[in-house]
Amino acid sequence: MSQIDDFKPSQESGEIARLLSYVALLAASVGLFIEATTIPTSRFEALGAGAFPMLVHACLILLLVTAIIGSLRKLPAAAYGRFGAEAMGWLKARRLVLFLFLCLAVFVAGIPVIGYPVAAFLFLIVLQVTYAPKTRVTIGIAVLLALIFSFGLNWLFAEVFNVFLPRGL
Amino acid sequence: MLGAAQVLSFTTLIMMFFGAIAGIIAAAIPGFTVTMAIVLTLPLTFSMDPLQGISVMLSVYVGGYTGGLISAALLGIPGTPSSVATTFDAFPMARNGEPGRALSLGVWASFFGTLISTAVLIVAAPPLATFAVRLGPWEYFSLIVFALTIVASLVGDSLQRGLIAALIGLAIATIGTDPMMGRPRFDMGLELLAAGLPFLVVLIGIFAISQLASEVEDARAIKTGEKLVSGTIEFKTWAVMREVLMRPVNLIRSSLIGVGIGALPGAGGSIANLVAYDQAKRSSKDPDSFGTGTADGVVASEAGNSATAGGGLIPLISLGIPGSAVDAILMASLMVHGISVGPRLIMDNADLVYGMFLAMAVSSLMMLVICVLSMRLFLRVAEVPKWVVVPVVMVCCVVGSFALNNRVTDLYLLAAVGLLGYGLKALDYPLAPLVLGVILGPIAETNLRRALMTENDWSLFVTRPVSLIFLIAAVASVAWAVRGILRRRKERQLKKDTA
Repeated sequence: MSQIDDFKPSQESGEIARLLSYVALLAASVGLFIEATTIPTSRFEALGAGAFPMLVHACLILLLVTAIIGSLRKLPAAAYGRFGAEAMGWLKARRLVLFLFLCLAVFVAGIPVIGYPVAAFLFLIVLQVTYAPKTRVTIGIAVLLALIFSFGLNWLFAEVFNVFLPRGL
Repeated sequence: MLGAAQVLSFTTLIMMFFGAIAGIIAAAIPGFTVTMAIVLTLPLTFSMDPLQGISVMLSVYVGGYTGGLISAALLGIPGTPSSVATTFDAFPMARNGEPGRALSLGVWASFFGTLISTAVLIVAAPPLATFAVRLGPWEYFSLIVFALTIVASLVGDSLQRGLIAALIGLAIATIGTDPMMGRPRFDMGLELLAAGLPFLVVLIGIFAISQLASEVEDARAIKTGEKLVSGTIEFKTWAVMREVLMRPVNLIRSSLIGVGIGALPGAGGSIANLVAYDQAKRSSKDPDSFGTGTADGVVASEAGNSATAGGGLIPLISLGIPGSAVDAILMASLMVHGISVGPRLIMDNADLVYGMFLAMAVSSLMMLVICVLSMRLFLRVAEVPKWVVVPVVMVCCVVGSFALNNRVTDLYLLAAVGLLGYGLKALDYPLAPLVLGVILGPIAETNLRRALMTENDWSLFVTRPVSLIFLIAAVASVAWAVRGILRRRKERQLKKDTA
């Protein structure tokens, strides 16, 4: 059995997570709707630049309010107590996913500073070594692939396609 | 005859062969598009004869429409926007242990789709083009309303979450510069958002990054060197060809949808594959099998997107109006050689035009041969361990996203959209409606505002016959989808009661 199968949050916790997403989306949508009302209308057209976004956000707000009411009616009061622990368990089971996003964030933030080749090399080495079974062969493959897809790809783009990937400061 | 002789010359054929390979490879890498491949090919054709140059570019074009299938089927990541719907069934089929069948179905469907579109191009180019350019913003807006009803087919288990996802897509599309007046919207004063969220960055983030993240969810499996597909991979290309030909209605309908949508300036493969998939699902006797790895889904999407290649040439050849960015580059290549593109093109340069038709057919045959010969090589991707595939494809996504506009800020957006995509996926939101919203949003807004700028009269949407037909089709489409949802709900309730 896989680790993901070992941990399965209850349906109620899933519904609470969705409820939180509805609330977050609603807050964003209301904010953007209000901002859309402030966009000035050109005198050359009947609908201004804010009309279409207002229409979209109005529909979204309506749907989200309905979804929130539906979720609140579905959820028993006891479910909220379990949510914190189950959400932590869910995140713990997906630690490699969180690590992936962390590495991606550091990688893209590092590109303008240290340049694409070095940032990509480090990104590939760190991720592959973390994920791979630890043997000499896999480490060797990881280093080789990291070289090809960092310095090699940089060379290919510059020399063949005339596209220059960021070189850093 | 002169055109045919030029296309069938040894040198042209060899160059077309390499062009088709380049198109397939470029489109197979997430983030690299057919347009980018064509742009990179353009300077290489300057020294060639006009027909030779355009034949090479057409081979890149045809190869590119098929190449997107490879990553869609094997990784669940659409290589190009036109292969979004391919992921719905080709990917589950590959994960069910049939990657060879998934790829073969797509390749054969693409081949037949291109051939059908070439036949339509030869027969119906002038009348279709005349019809297409007569459509005003009212008809375009109504067409997009109809296309938006596809959401009902893509929602999965929850209609509510599907609609929310589609509206999030439409909302994302409103960020950045207003498409009509150039007014900044929702940029929060950030340079990052000033130019809006590029569609391809959203597509890569939503589908590719979230899919790659899903691959590493199971820490124990990935650390033991788990492959993308376990078990023996079978590859029976001729049996699959028969399987595709056993679906003539789906094949022809999807190809004609591709031709029709391709002929409309501004539309294209990114819409055609979804509309063709939607229509195949609606007319299927077993719509519930769609999304689980059914052959009909793969055939519809691939025939639909490949047929837009021929469809896009219809307004270009008949009227000198490029239907898409790729067609605009093809037009530029003709103009570089001093050939004026317009209604007289077919009369003044008949050899060239008929040579182009032949080049389309030859390109599709080359694409087929290349794919059949190299399929085993592509299938090896499925045998690569996830610890190799995930980081390497992630780097390709980053490079592809940067190369689109040469903007580092696009990479920050990519990471943010990827995280959003993964979060939505974990919360059971369907991602396809969101992408559909991002594709259709700007077209809908532009045409709605253009229509009302031309004449401030809403009734024109229902008094213009073609617009009315599209709106009636949209209403019928929604009614049909709601009926299906209610029927399935009733069946589930009945099963529950019996149990």
